[in-house]
Amino acid sequence: MQRRTVIKNFVIMAGGIALLPSCSGDRKKASILLKNLNTSAEQEALLAEIAETILPGTDAPGAKSMNLHLFTMKMVDDCHTAEEQKLFTKGLNKIDQMAEDKYGASFAKCTPEQRKELLVQVAEDKDVPKEAAAFLRITKQRVIQGFTNSKYVMTDLKQYEMVPGRYNGYFPVEKN
Amino acid sequence: MPQLNTDSIKERTFDAIVIGSGISGGWSAKELTEQGIKTLLLERGRDVKHIEDYPTTNKLPYEFDHRGEVPLEIREKAPIVSRCYAFREDTMHFFLKDKEHEYIQEKPFDWIRGYQVGGKSLIWARQTQRWSDLDFEGPKRDGFVVDWPIRYADIAPWYSHVEKFAGICGNKDGLKELPDGEFLPSYPLNAIEDHFREQVSKKYKGRYVIRARAAHISKPEPIHLEQGRGQCQNRTLCQRGCPFGGYFSSNASTIPWAMKTGNLTLRPFSVVHSIIYDEQKGRATGVRVIDTNTKEEIEYFAKVIFVNASALNTNLVLLNSTSRRFPNGLGNDSGLLGKYVAFHHYGGRVSARYEGELDKFRTDGRNPAGCYIPRFRNVYRQETDFLRGYAAGFSASRGFYSDTAPIGEQLKENLINRKLGGWHIGSHMMGETIPKESNYVKLDPGKKDEWGVPLLRVNVDFDNNDEKMLRDYFDQFSEMYAEAGFTDIKTSRTENPPGLDIHEMGGVRMGHDPKTSLLNKWNQLHACKNVFVTDGACMTSTSTQNPSLTYMAFSARSANYAIDQMKKGNL
Repeated sequence: MQRRTVIKNFVIMAGGIALLPSCSGDRKKASILLKNLNTSAEQEALLAEIAETILPGTDAPGAKSMNLHLFTMKMVDDCHTAEEQKLFTKGLNKIDQMAEDKYGASFAKCTPEQRKELLVQVAEDKDVPKEAAAFLRITKQRVIQGFTNSKYVMTDLKQYEMVPGRYNGYFPVEKN
Repeated sequence: MPQLNTDSIKERTFDAIVIGSGISGGWSAKELTEQGIKTLLLERGRDVKHIEDYPTTNKLPYEFDHRGEVPLEIREKAPIVSRCYAFREDTMHFFLKDKEHEYIQEKPFDWIRGYQVGGKSLIWARQTQRWSDLDFEGPKRDGFVVDWPIRYADIAPWYSHVEKFAGICGNKDGLKELPDGEFLPSYPLNAIEDHFREQVSKKYKGRYVIRARAAHISKPEPIHLEQGRGQCQNRTLCQRGCPFGGYFSSNASTIPWAMKTGNLTLRPFSVVHSIIYDEQKGRATGVRVIDTNTKEEIEYFAKVIFVNASALNTNLVLLNSTSRRFPNGLGNDSGLLGKYVAFHHYGGRVSARYEGELDKFRTDGRNPAGCYIPRFRNVYRQETDFLRGYAAGFSASRGFYSDTAPIGEQLKENLINRKLGGWHIGSHMMGETIPKESNYVKLDPGKKDEWGVPLLRVNVDFDNNDEKMLRDYFDQFSEMYAEAGFTDIKTSRTENPPGLDIHEMGGVRMGHDPKTSLLNKWNQLHACKNVFVTDGACMTSTSTQNPSLTYMAFSARSANYAIDQMKKGNL
């Protein structure tokens, strides 16, 4: 096997970027290497379901298949303050607890309708624990970022042009 | 052994030494080597070769681990550089991180640096406006600092010289306050920019909205192709380094050109500790360099020395070049070395929206050059309660957006099928600040960096004139926007300290009189004629134009003067 292929098999692709897998071999730990967050495999699975609820798979790929939950973890781990990281983790757990309180089932066991209803409620931030609202704000922002900046959206759907080679300041809107 | 020693000195002897490989040093080196002058070009940072050392240049946004965002750990360790608009995940390897070269802020000053071959020419904003006599005559007319020892006629041919080679796009606008140059075709204004141009010229005498002149090859001439550079491809990813050589940098242009002559020796990893002054000969004979890898001190010798270390570092090198003759820094008989440092006032922005007839247009592709509004205050006479004035950058743009409020399929649908947004209008001021003796840099008496060079203490601040100017900019632009029918007009203060404009200037100013200035009209130290300073440090006043083009012209002019003087045996 070519060396390049070996390396490729050992990284996890998340929305176009390669993440290093966690080397602990501990199945209870997150699947990617994190410096600050202490995310468990269980929390990672929960985050995947939440991300999928935010951007579900349709004809177009959804958050889970694009690994946007891993991208979110990576961004929170590297780009957010310790305070925000704490809110993120607490808020993530809180979502599961809110699902239990509201529907008597963990978030993963809720129906897609229930999941969406819960996240809409948290997004509206009415009588919602602070950490849950903060968690969803961060997660939604990062999932959207991961999606709009993905190869699928930028290259396949042609939303981004690397080398335009032109500029027109009077482009008629009708031509859209 | 004595023979070996002589050989070693010979190997370390050149006709000329240029300190710094940024935008001005690249020009000094190009002009000197082109005319057969054996030149040593010293650069404190690492080498950056055109294209091959632009690691991010062809990366797509999703190929960056953090999609362009700088990770928090880096931002926390380097808060100063992190405030720079161009410091991003795709460009951060071309910026100095705070701890790599510390300085002392007596007052807040964000010193933004690029320590590598090419310096900040890799990451500059590429705006290139000429000065006119209205700028050079400013200090004399308004009675501040000292008179510039040159006028527009002295530098005009050198502006032309550097413009032709660098590749500057622009229109011949015929404005006295912003002379025309040797332009490649300009990028046309868009519908809203044109509208604003028309409205302003109709309603205000002496105010003009033009396309900024910029160092982009809109259409290559043979001289650009000969450099291996091609047409700008409107990527607007310039600060990564351009694989087409579409914008001007030392890396793409002057340094490879100088290298081709066979007369250039480029030495990266070389911090200049000081310039060596020979008391007997009464001239500078060379420089002391610290190799940043080995920490070894090495002396290099030359007949002529060009100091192009970037404005504040040029001050640092000269202040640290002490001798019995010059105990307070090389050429510092006047005691003014390091004083009268100034900058450009980028303290305000005015934004707005447009709705109306022109909504039938949008833009397509990307535009590498914005609009420019030359200074219109106090141009021909003093007419406001503040001195001098401001120019402004201006642009209108229209992008796509998505409603991100929903969750689920609707959100996804919105992200995939974006909507065309409205026109957004923005402008930023670029004000002239008045150099003052109280705005200075000096050496710290005790603290030294890892190369044994004293740390620089920076004491530079805004004053009341700047505040009055900012308010006038807000008032005038709000009014001009309203006259043009723009809505939702908002003014905002940037609240940034000086330095973030990255237009710091002065400290080694030019002037007629050795008692009140450091440099003569040829950018030679009055008191040590074989040392030339042609970077931002030489600036007597700042005017409002983006200064790099003027440094390039000064460098080319002085290098040619130095060659001429060497040939005549005067240097």
